[in-house]
Amino acid sequence: MKKREQRLTRDQVGSIVKMLGLTTDREFNCGECLQRVSEFAECRLANQPVGEVIAKVEQHLALCPECREEYEALIRILRAGQ
Amino acid sequence: MTESEINWPALLRATDSGEQAEAVRTLRELLQNGLRIALNGRSGVSEAHLEDFAQESLLRVMDRLDQFQGRSKFTTWAQAIALNVAFTELRRKRWQDVSLDALLADGDRMAEPAIMADDVLGADEERTRLVTVLRDAIEKQLTPKQRAAIMGELRELPFDQIVQLLGTSRSAGYKLLHDARRALKQRLHEAGITGEEIQNAFN
Repeated sequence: MKKREQRLTRDQVGSIVKMLGLTTDREFNCGECLQRVSEFAECRLANQPVGEVIAKVEQHLALCPECREEYEALIRILRAGQ
Repeated sequence: MTESEINWPALLRATDSGEQAEAVRTLRELLQNGLRIALNGRSGVSEAHLEDFAQESLLRVMDRLDQFQGRSKFTTWAQAIALNVAFTELRRKRWQDVSLDALLADGDRMAEPAIMADDVLGADEERTRLVTVLRDAIEKQLTPKQRAAIMGELRELPFDQIVQLLGTSRSAGYKLLHDARRALKQRLHEAGITGEEIQNAFN
């Protein structure tokens, strides 16, 4: 059976490259991110510096669109409550 | 009493059933109000959905009370859990018809030379070399499941959906994807392509 040919778009190739650029040996997974994202969001809203551990939340958010979507929603809620 | 003065974990664990019931009711209402703000304008989300999400979130929060370490406000922590519950369910509904076979087939096709043709690359020599090495690494360094996981990411499939299709847990799925990214990055490194080149290639 002839295989259906599929080409990756330039954007998709760019996405792989971007993911690799952000990849480090030790990263937070989604569960670890969820456990610390509330702390990260409060720091961000208060313009407070984040520590080394919490910086891993930021790195995970750059790689994970789902966690980023949830973080942005959390920021909307916190802003509405201010 | 201000938010910072309320000891939510203690109230939610209270042995006084009236006090505990009141805390549960207040928290559920708070979570539902937050979800209403977060999901405002999203099609297909009714007040009944918000109630269901809030109730499910409440159960999740109660189940994880021991994990709250007081590094943020309790309500912010609980709200993050509620958002995770709601968005996970909304994504599951959106992507429920995607099959593992389709994802694995996409992953296999990703390793085919045709997918990274010149019209995708453009004429830039450095970028062409990077993508050639990348294509070779995808074909030779990754397992079919790793390729499928990468392909799922590129198709913007929710991570929960990817791990469900691959029949693995969330943490194992993240490790699968992380290992795949590290393997590809390592291969680029061995080929003498630096992190800076990776970052600049598609800017």
